[in-house]
Amino acid sequence: MTRKYWKGLEELKETPEFIKHKEQEFPNQQTIEEFLSDDKLSETSTARRDFLKFLGFSVAAATLAACEAPVTKVVPYVNKPEDVTPGMPTWYTSTYYDGNSYASILVKTREARPIFIKGNKDFGFTKGGVNPQIVASVLGLYDGERLTKPTAGGTVASWSSIDKAVSSALKSAKSVTLLTNTVISPSMKRAIAEMSVAMNGEAGSKFQHIQYDAVSYAGMREANMSNFGARIIPSYDFSKAKTIVSVDADFLNSWLLSTEFTGQYAATRNPDAAWMSKHIQFETVMSITGSNADYRGMIKPSEQATVLAYIIKGLGGNPGVSADLSKADPSTKAAADVAIKALKKSKKESLVVSGSNNIGVQQLTNKLNNLLQAYGTTIDLSNPINLFQSEDAQVAKFVKDVVAGNGPDVLLMMDVNPVYTLPNGDAFAKGLKKIKTSVAISAYADETAALCSYVCPGFHALESWSDFEAKASEYAVSQPTIRPLGEDTASALESLLVWNGSAVRGGKDSSVAYDYIKATFAAKFPTADFAMTVHNSVMPQAIVPSTLVYADAKIAALPKAADVEVSFYQKAGIGTGAHANNPWLQELPDPITKVTWDNYVTMNPVEMKAKGFVTTYDQEHGLNLTTVKVNGKSVTLPVYPLPGQALNTIGIALGYGRGANGEKIGKAAFQTKEYGGHELNDAGNRKPIGANVYAMVTTGATFEYSAAATVGAAEGLYPIAATQIHHTVMGRHSIVRETTLGIYQNNDKEAYNPAHTLQKLDAHGNHVEAPVSEFDLWDAHPVEKIGHRWGISIDLSSCIGCGTCLIACQSENNVPVVGKDEVRRGREMHWLRIDRYFASDEEAAVGTRKDKETFSYDKAELAAENPKVVHMPLMCHHCNHAPCETVCPVAATTHSNEGLNQMAYNRCIGTRYCANNCPYKVRRFNWFNYPAYKKFTEVNPAQDDLGRMVLNPDVTVRTRGVMEKCSLCVQRIQATKLTAKKEAREIIDGEFATACSDACPTHAITVGDWNDLKSMIRSKSENNRAYQALEEVGVKPNVWYQVKVRNEENSLLTAIQSEADHASNKQHH
Amino acid sequence: MEISRIQLLKRLKSLAFVTLTFGFVGLTNFTKAQGEALFKSKCATCHQTHKNSTGPKLFQVRDKWAAGGAKEGSIFMWVNNWQNAVAADPYAAEVSKWSPTAMAAFPDLKKEDITAIFDWIDAQPDPATVTNTGGPMDPSKTEMDPAEEEGSVGWIWIVMGVIFIVVILAVGGVRRQLKIATSDNPETQEKLTYAEELRSIAWKYRLWVGLGSLVTVIAIVVTLFQSLYRINVMEEYQPSQPIAFPHDRHAGVNGIDCKYCHNSVTKSKSAGIPSVNVCMNCHKQIDGTGKPFAGEIKKIYAAAGWDLSSGAGKYTGHTKPIVWNKVHVLPDHVYFNHSQHVVVGGVDCKQCHGDMKTMNETAKVQPVSELNKIEGNVQLTKPTLTMGWCIECHGKKDVTIGNGKNAYYDEIHRRLKKDPALYKKYYKDGKVSVSELGGWECAKCHY
Repeated sequence: MTRKYWKGLEELKETPEFIKHKEQEFPNQQTIEEFLSDDKLSETSTARRDFLKFLGFSVAAATLAACEAPVTKVVPYVNKPEDVTPGMPTWYTSTYYDGNSYASILVKTREARPIFIKGNKDFGFTKGGVNPQIVASVLGLYDGERLTKPTAGGTVASWSSIDKAVSSALKSAKSVTLLTNTVISPSMKRAIAEMSVAMNGEAGSKFQHIQYDAVSYAGMREANMSNFGARIIPSYDFSKAKTIVSVDADFLNSWLLSTEFTGQYAATRNPDAAWMSKHIQFETVMSITGSNADYRGMIKPSEQATVLAYIIKGLGGNPGVSADLSKADPSTKAAADVAIKALKKSKKESLVVSGSNNIGVQQLTNKLNNLLQAYGTTIDLSNPINLFQSEDAQVAKFVKDVVAGNGPDVLLMMDVNPVYTLPNGDAFAKGLKKIKTSVAISAYADETAALCSYVCPGFHALESWSDFEAKASEYAVSQPTIRPLGEDTASALESLLVWNGSAVRGGKDSSVAYDYIKATFAAKFPTADFAMTVHNSVMPQAIVPSTLVYADAKIAALPKAADVEVSFYQKAGIGTGAHANNPWLQELPDPITKVTWDNYVTMNPVEMKAKGFVTTYDQEHGLNLTTVKVNGKSVTLPVYPLPGQALNTIGIALGYGRGANGEKIGKAAFQTKEYGGHELNDAGNRKPIGANVYAMVTTGATFEYSAAATVGAAEGLYPIAATQIHHTVMGRHSIVRETTLGIYQNNDKEAYNPAHTLQKLDAHGNHVEAPVSEFDLWDAHPVEKIGHRWGISIDLSSCIGCGTCLIACQSENNVPVVGKDEVRRGREMHWLRIDRYFASDEEAAVGTRKDKETFSYDKAELAAENPKVVHMPLMCHHCNHAPCETVCPVAATTHSNEGLNQMAYNRCIGTRYCANNCPYKVRRFNWFNYPAYKKFTEVNPAQDDLGRMVLNPDVTVRTRGVMEKCSLCVQRIQATKLTAKKEAREIIDGEFATACSDACPTHAITVGDWNDLKSMIRSKSENNRAYQALEEVGVKPNVWYQVKVRNEENSLLTAIQSEADHASNKQHH
Repeated sequence: MEISRIQLLKRLKSLAFVTLTFGFVGLTNFTKAQGEALFKSKCATCHQTHKNSTGPKLFQVRDKWAAGGAKEGSIFMWVNNWQNAVAADPYAAEVSKWSPTAMAAFPDLKKEDITAIFDWIDAQPDPATVTNTGGPMDPSKTEMDPAEEEGSVGWIWIVMGVIFIVVILAVGGVRRQLKIATSDNPETQEKLTYAEELRSIAWKYRLWVGLGSLVTVIAIVVTLFQSLYRINVMEEYQPSQPIAFPHDRHAGVNGIDCKYCHNSVTKSKSAGIPSVNVCMNCHKQIDGTGKPFAGEIKKIYAAAGWDLSSGAGKYTGHTKPIVWNKVHVLPDHVYFNHSQHVVVGGVDCKQCHGDMKTMNETAKVQPVSELNKIEGNVQLTKPTLTMGWCIECHGKKDVTIGNGKNAYYDEIHRRLKKDPALYKKYYKDGKVSVSELGGWECAKCHY
């Protein structure tokens, strides 16, 4: 296997646009000639001299205005709460659960405003693991379109009137259905049980509780029902798995409890540990998990069962279904053979997971795991996961009834949006209108709530008390971190209790829910201290060892094959669509495609070429639209060239197309115009972003997230805003370094991580190779011995490219959101980006071209069908010999004696020389006044009073015309130093964490004081895998990378790197 | 010379005697000062000498207890922990009913300390009978603002200048008229206009006119730049406040420590405007009845929701935050941390805020000239609250490192020693200044 890395197909093919733009940091700048020749210019009424007059006047006016010092008000507390010190953050433990992700978290508040969320590393089984959605959820708290008052029939009503109406409706109704997402709250379960008892008595059937998740995992539960007799999902422990085989399970991004799995997985990816896991992925769409795999097979969704059967057969089992992989992509059989070999070796220390919701596929997975005896080692049946309890058959029957007009008399809905997430949402909406009394407990008047008779706004997770039991082994609590922002909102738990007649409304500062949760806790743990549990956020629970035994069962119906199959997947940012109104997540570049603000059809570029789709795009040239038809439903979306996509398949992400009828779900969920304002459709409604493909989900025994599809011909072009083709690496392949575990273990550093050398003349006038560090243009900064020297080390083996760091950085550093149009122009403002490099067969590894003479980008194109991927987070490198500093005409960017490249915004005059001179292209220019300019009103949260509350008061909000970049979280450095000084102690290694290192679920980012000889960063920077990107440029950065190590066989790379090793040894001896 | 054992003992004895004598003399002085210091640090927040406040007045309290039939020594027990005293002495139990607000325990105060405090209190004259040296705050007092005063002086100069120019022109005109009138040549009368004449005069005295113009232009440019540099200089800034708060009365006369009210100064970046409940600690008792400033205290009650109509007073729960006008305003792009300066740097409040004990009007930004007059302040030249002022101090102020008192700075010192050349350079002036440790770097205050 040989490969080369490239940033995009444009780079791979060197299209004319690419070549034109690759030298430019900021593409497509209008020349002065172009500007002056603009016809519109002469139409303007302002003459040049008038303009100068205006200019003069405004300068004078501004000067005069500046003379008057504004009066700043300061309003102290009347009664200061004891635990709040103005100017100091207060951290609260809490728990995050939105029906899709779960994590133990820490919430940072300033003056009682939550401003930052990170994982709780000390408590909870998620061990600090979070995903971008969880970190970004703090912004959702401040969404201006969240409901603030309850409504009845669309008009604002009082709680008392609604409570009266709902209670009496519940009493008089013949049938009541409570439709919720999976309830993991013991208190909520208790309230629902009480409700059931009150209405059903001992054996009535009036009240029914149905759990319905946007994305169902019912297939797993049903498969376990057939194999173990229990409808459970067991716990998985990836940290014990020496071989991981995943069949379309994106367990590092969206599958099941990814917040727990990422940390476990990363622990097995350390090449310096006793062993390193081997990860084989079979999937349709290139996912985050697939991009991190050692081996990756491209399969159609219908081939999942075949792959599992092939492996079962290979291990000597009898799959009972076809195990013929001859029709599959060659990569699949190769990877499956590797999997068989590895599984045979690791036996019960293996784990096979499947992302399918097909019962049959899950049964095969169970069979394989049983064959490997993984139950009891990597799979724990005695500690089941309580998430995703959706029972699809029950849901389907209920939906059928509602659609047919036979719905219940009263329908209570809580945290569900069936009109949006059901395959037949439109029909359900019609049926919903026929229901006598429909009540929605929802934060927004979303697709479903907007149609209900009563809408009862609940609390945001950060405003309410709640308890959780995500796993049998752990009880968890969440506590409010802010007084409810909504004028007249109420806890969902309280609403249920009130309607059931077991509580009375407590108003805004009600303690009904709190008391109820405390009572639940007291009943559960009679001797435990609730306050201490809130402090820790979790409480371990004893689990009963499982007695479940595997039994073979008849394999249920498997997905049918089709010519073209579509796979529906979840993106890292948007997920199921619940956070579609979060501008941070919309602007989060997709970890694989790097596209922001859009939904698209993914297709392998090889196939796209054959079908006549354009496969390259840039700022001005978009991608072709096409119409995809599934089960008679169709959507029109752009087609994105995604290497690694299985041939004859396409992928479309769920979670887009929210608010199709202009529902008030948050202004960032809709398309915006070039100069601000929302795009409107013919009906005058705001246009949603992307299209909703839940409607295409296959309804069988369970909801299945794949289907047969037909793809139409290429239509017109559609602009795409991706961060992918910007910030090129100029083909300098000293950026990413990669090796295999075998080479790493058996060879010297010179093999896989050779030092950069340059030629110089020695004393005798001979040319000799000397290390780059010997060549210096500048005087050294005195940072190596005195004071601190802050640095970052990023382990490319651990980094999975999830994007959590990027969102954490955005949250910590008040990074503005700029919207699709500006991202398209390459003006995104993220201080930290994650470069994703695809590999091709033209190179053995980065910088080690297979054959330098015959290397060709054109040839590489054909080999890019199923590339390996490297994710590389890149932020300011804080170079000790920073090229940006020397070119600043006003000394706005300077070096500190702690090794930081500091940026003084108030000095900056915006020449942008620094950005031009930065070899890493990490500087960002404020083209606009993002917190005020109308173009960004819909996207930038800093533009409204509510959204502004999320800003970190310790970091300046930058204005137009200044440069900005990663500051290495200097505000945190200063705070850490100050704490140490005040406590008269040295700084403890690990005490200082940047937002990115704090948030990283895989601990790939290490920060610290390099001058502290015992520090982690020091040892990381000096180990054999450490290298610096673009070291040969001689800028002496304070950022180190660790060579990526893949646990694979790569004979070509072995040959090349071993040869390099020998050559260097020869030179040395 | 060898001294015998007895001699040695004798010498030691005399030495001990001398030491003890001096020690005792020192002690009497010391206890007085100590009594005052202890009172101000431990008691003054709740107690006054001659007036009841949060706690009862303490003047001759020992006699009061003795007269009330308290047990011997129970008052000391009370101070250490009042609950112990209540348990031991019925009189103390009686005293505990004085107020629902419980007294804090001071277990670390020794009997001598407590005696010293009481001695000092009893030696204090009743302020009601003596003239107050600090001067009570009188909101009706109309004192001309210094800035205003200076401004009016400026206007006088301008008016005088204008009059002067008018006089010169008038005199010149008269002179010209006279000249024309007395002139024999009628041509001059026609040809030379006023402007032409001026021009010819200017040409005649071109050297002086040229020099004069040059000086004027330079003066204008210098003035312009100086005035531009004064833009947003906050010196003398003294916004009006919703409550005429006299710092001199609180911090001066009553000796309340700055940190009692501005209590986040040691913890946080902001010193904090005291919350109303802090005011109420004392002002529950001090309502200013009959004083000219009673109206101001009523404003606190309005904010706290304190209802006095029912006699003893009670909280109504209807609070209204006080909206103050911020005096020391730093721009948003400046990060300033009070705790860094006060706790770590050991900088006194006076260094930047001036002597608030003497400030009998609402707070204002003290000009640097005033700050320089205060004893112990680092002498600075740049206007208060400007960046020049900050970095000037960072350049002058030293940081004590490597003295074993702060492990953080000890480590910095150890690392610094690894670079002998730099170490020598830093210690050339015998100290390490803030700037040498990086206090002049942009990202120390701007991020």
